[in-house]
Amino acid sequence: MSVNKTNPRASAQQEKTFARFNLGQRWEHAVLILSTLALLLTGLPQKYRDMSWSQDLLSTPERLDLVRQIHHIAAIILAMEAIYHIGRAIYLLARRKMSAAMFPTMQDVYDAWHMLQYLLFLRKEKPAFGKYNFEQKVTYWFLFFGFALMGISGFIIWFPVQFTKFLPGGVVPASKMAHSTESVVAAIFIVVWHLYHVHLERLNLSIFTGRLSEKEMREFHSKEYDRLTSSQSSSDKKN
Amino acid sequence: MTMRNLHRQAPWFALAGVIILLVSALAVFPVNAKPPTQETEKYCLSCHGDSNLSMTLPSGEKLSLYVSQDQLDHSVHSNKGIECEACHNDISTYPHPRLKYETKRELSLNYYQTCEKCHSANYEKTQDSMHAQSAAEGNQDAPVCTDCHGHHDTLTPDEPRSQISVTCSKCHTDIVDAYKQSVHGAALLEDENPDVPVCTDCHGVHNIQDSRTEEFRVQSPELCAKCHADKELMDKYDLSSDVYSIYKRSWHGVDISVYKARWGAVWHDSAVCTDCHGVHDMLKTDDPKSRVNPANLLETCRQCHPDAGPNWVDAWTGHNEVSLERTPFLFYVDKFYTSFTPFILWACILYVALQIIRSIVDRVRSTL
Repeated sequence: MSVNKTNPRASAQQEKTFARFNLGQRWEHAVLILSTLALLLTGLPQKYRDMSWSQDLLSTPERLDLVRQIHHIAAIILAMEAIYHIGRAIYLLARRKMSAAMFPTMQDVYDAWHMLQYLLFLRKEKPAFGKYNFEQKVTYWFLFFGFALMGISGFIIWFPVQFTKFLPGGVVPASKMAHSTESVVAAIFIVVWHLYHVHLERLNLSIFTGRLSEKEMREFHSKEYDRLTSSQSSSDKKN
Repeated sequence: MTMRNLHRQAPWFALAGVIILLVSALAVFPVNAKPPTQETEKYCLSCHGDSNLSMTLPSGEKLSLYVSQDQLDHSVHSNKGIECEACHNDISTYPHPRLKYETKRELSLNYYQTCEKCHSANYEKTQDSMHAQSAAEGNQDAPVCTDCHGHHDTLTPDEPRSQISVTCSKCHTDIVDAYKQSVHGAALLEDENPDVPVCTDCHGVHNIQDSRTEEFRVQSPELCAKCHADKELMDKYDLSSDVYSIYKRSWHGVDISVYKARWGAVWHDSAVCTDCHGVHDMLKTDDPKSRVNPANLLETCRQCHPDAGPNWVDAWTGHNEVSLERTPFLFYVDKFYTSFTPFILWACILYVALQIIRSIVDRVRSTL
């Protein structure tokens, strides 16, 4: 990802901001939110079809069909987004045009240990994080595999006859269980983990605005801040 | 009569008094009296006991007027003192009034109505039945009381139980033939098994409903469950009593339960018990002719899933709980979600809880 070091319009008084997500990534996140929300809203009533609230919502067979169609359309949109996301990442990583900052490293394990000690009042300071801290990596990879599981199992139960032409039949009930359970697991995870970290711990809107303030960079991504400012100052020296 | 003559009449008054006493005694204690009804039967049979007695109806049909003493002796009515006139209430004199019926069937369709006098509850039920509906649509052959129960030879209908299938087979021959081949029918006819269902156990007795309707279809799994979810009964035959509860959780079962709860009048094809096991001809699973025998299962699935390949049958968990041997994929997914995933989720929740505690403590400290 290209890094925009300063906001070109920023005056001396205005706080300096740092680019975090480019426009494409922000659009990807918007598509992800909307399709996931649509999938949850149309999927949960289907999961709980034996409950009366679900039967009130899906009040006619036609409405059930409609809800299934919306679910399938949202699933296709999300699947295309996932293919684009993975394809783009592989392309850029292969050409060394994107940093591998999102991949987990041993440093994340040390950071997590350090953070745990801080939370248990065994340390005074939080660890210094890079561009993506280990919490954000957990978010990304939990949902990465969660969505992969939802996608695979979802398409299997959408086209069970076709999939069992080359897969064993046992994958169909297994997919049904996985799809049904993982949906709730992912929903709980998003609400507890992701929404806490981006709304309650601090209001982090960088996925919508694309930028983080200098204060946020110092506090939450100090290593990245140091890297950017030192490279800037070194490049300043060169000039 | 004058007072002078009164003393000469005295014996006659005494006799009248005795007769009045006797008659009133009979009226007060009728139990002690010999039922006069049997007398009626005997009286009627003095003519109708002749096996050659018959008449020709306007339709040209020959109507036998013979009533066998033997049949009456075995019937449930005669022994209880219910006499000829109870039903033949239009005949109380001899010579009899002219018979007003054109055909034998017309005669039956009129006489059976007298059953209502005593059996009003069951009579009412039959009026709501599929048979009454068929009669209302003009089917003269739709059965009335006497077609199933007999008339002069009315017997206890379920002694033996297999008699019920014989009764139904008078009209539903093909179905009873199929039933006789089934695991239920064979056990009934060969061993007089008291547990297997006879026709009326599933279809009802007097208010028999059309079993081809949407409503009947979505309710049919419960019919099977009456026995097949009964642990005590199923243990007797070494069968699982979980088949119904597992079915109810399956894709088919949930689907059917929604239609039953909300859309009872909408036809739905999701499989019910009989779609796979057969309607009247269900067999044991290990019977090579059974539709659900592993060798025939694919063909059975293809009734609804025509493009299914050979792997498809393993997608059906076969009314079995999750197990490593039978459903390994399901087993591991189940393990994953009952152990690993809750662990991860609880770790996340705990971590966030620690973060909240720490941030509150920090905030409180900063205000001090």
